[in-house]
Amino acid sequence: MFRKGKITDAWVLLLIASPGLAHFLIFKYIPLAGNLIAFQDYNLFSGLLHSKWVGLKHFKFMFEYPEFAMVLWNSIRFGLYSILFGFPAPLILALLLNEIRLSWFKRTSQTLLYLPHFLSWVIVGGIFTELLAEKGLVNQILAKFGDAPVSFLTEPRYFLGIVISLGIWKEVGWSMIIYLAAMTGINPNLYEAAMVDGASRFRRIWHITLPSLLPAIIMLLLLRIGHLLDANVEQLLFFLNPLVRDVGEVFDTYVYRVGLTGGQYSYTTAIGIFKSLIGIILVVSLNKLSRKTTGDSIY
Amino acid sequence: MMELRTHSERTFQWVNGVFFILLCFSMIAPILHLLAVSLSSTVYANSRLVVLWPKGFQVSVYETLFGMREMWKGMGVSVYITLMGTFLCLVFTSSLAYSLTRPQMPCRRIITRLILFTFIFSVPLIPSYLVVKSLGMINSLWSLIIPGALGAYNVFIMKTFFQGISSELIDAMKIDGSGEFGVYARLVLPLSAPVLATIALFHSVGTWNAYFGALIYIRDKSLFPLQLLLKNLISSSSADNGLDAIGIHSGVTTSPETLKAAAILFTTVPILIVYPFLQRYFVKGAMLGSLKE
Repeated sequence: MFRKGKITDAWVLLLIASPGLAHFLIFKYIPLAGNLIAFQDYNLFSGLLHSKWVGLKHFKFMFEYPEFAMVLWNSIRFGLYSILFGFPAPLILALLLNEIRLSWFKRTSQTLLYLPHFLSWVIVGGIFTELLAEKGLVNQILAKFGDAPVSFLTEPRYFLGIVISLGIWKEVGWSMIIYLAAMTGINPNLYEAAMVDGASRFRRIWHITLPSLLPAIIMLLLLRIGHLLDANVEQLLFFLNPLVRDVGEVFDTYVYRVGLTGGQYSYTTAIGIFKSLIGIILVVSLNKLSRKTTGDSIY
Repeated sequence: MMELRTHSERTFQWVNGVFFILLCFSMIAPILHLLAVSLSSTVYANSRLVVLWPKGFQVSVYETLFGMREMWKGMGVSVYITLMGTFLCLVFTSSLAYSLTRPQMPCRRIITRLILFTFIFSVPLIPSYLVVKSLGMINSLWSLIIPGALGAYNVFIMKTFFQGISSELIDAMKIDGSGEFGVYARLVLPLSAPVLATIALFHSVGTWNAYFGALIYIRDKSLFPLQLLLKNLISSSSADNGLDAIGIHSGVTTSPETLKAAAILFTTVPILIVYPFLQRYFVKGAMLGSLKE
């Protein structure tokens, strides 16, 4: 009786889970298997089953093609800069906000700092392409000081700076929440004890706040580095134009443009595999390193 | 606090306060600027000298905008995919998360690991596109609703929440003769309003704001969601081309600048309206996701 009941429960649970399981299978795991087309000359009409297998042809082509080197270099540079500037920003902001004593001021600041997170990239992109345009507000202000107009949006050397700082502007407040939440968990006695011992503000942050946040920092950093080569396509497509392509084209935009709109499915899938491999290597090795040095790891 | 009295402390507090005032201003200034541009008369808007206050106040651009059937259609599409997508997201996520919290679920651990795997490694674009294509969803709004309806992150948030529901309650219900489905539908879901609301909010904002899905899956202009219409309007060099890009040929003579500004605001307003009320939920959700990894 009891045994029988247990079996039915299992079946009911499987049934309840089935829409979700089917979704994961169809939209996550079948695409992973679909990576196989990188080893074929994939043809839409023949499909995966009847397209010609060509082995590593597309991978060889990839390494011989000069455009690939450009895209690889751009992706690495973009990822490194975003982490270098984008990762510490919310942490620093949270530390500074935590020092504000007026609670209404703190709360209002927080609310306003989250706001851009909820605006789409079309809106943010729309606003800033207007502001930075040749005749836009920024150039009008520069003109008042007698400076010649700067073509922010078409000059390659401004591209990275603009895109990365807009990314930070949009997400810094939101990313800061995690640190603020972790800070509320710190025992206030620690701060009082440190103050009695005469510790300065900086020493209290250095010896109490930062060590308490360390597990969160490491976990977020690991996750972020695993996605080093992933770019926000919705963001980049907005600012990419032929004039800044040499610095702005990264893996994700390249796969979209050449693969999807250009129909080169197999070649760009090979690029996608290359990108995931780097991501996996980064996560696994850094996770190992982190577990050895700090004892924290994501899995 | 006692230390506030020292001179350097006070200086720090002031500098820090001013820093945050400037930063917060930078968060709302762009929106205020747009509002000012959209309410200015064409002459001033074209000379681009409007900063935060309208010059030559007029509202005619909104009349033009509200008269565009395409924009309302886009708004309708966005509302439809957002509501439908959010509903399906809740169904998929909660049912899977519930099953994974029950010890009777077969292969529970391995399934949980397989789901975690997709959280760390991103799904490839081209093969996903081919899957959606082979399901016949190209140029159908289902392509914007179904593929994004379930994600590992949400499953884990919900699973963590469900695990907090007392197992005594569940056992009591089962002794009273309820099956697993009864427990899920009549006990777990009603008790989980906070987490359901949080996930619903995350998902609806995500769907409302996205344009990439529509860019790759939708061909038919009458099925474009608002964000894609707006993107086409903005990215084209002049408003005339933009109107062309979103399929309007009504010979409208509005300044491109004011029209773009007004269109951006038109798309932002729904978010700005719900934002103050729901902000608390968003923040709770973000913490829920971050602290209980």
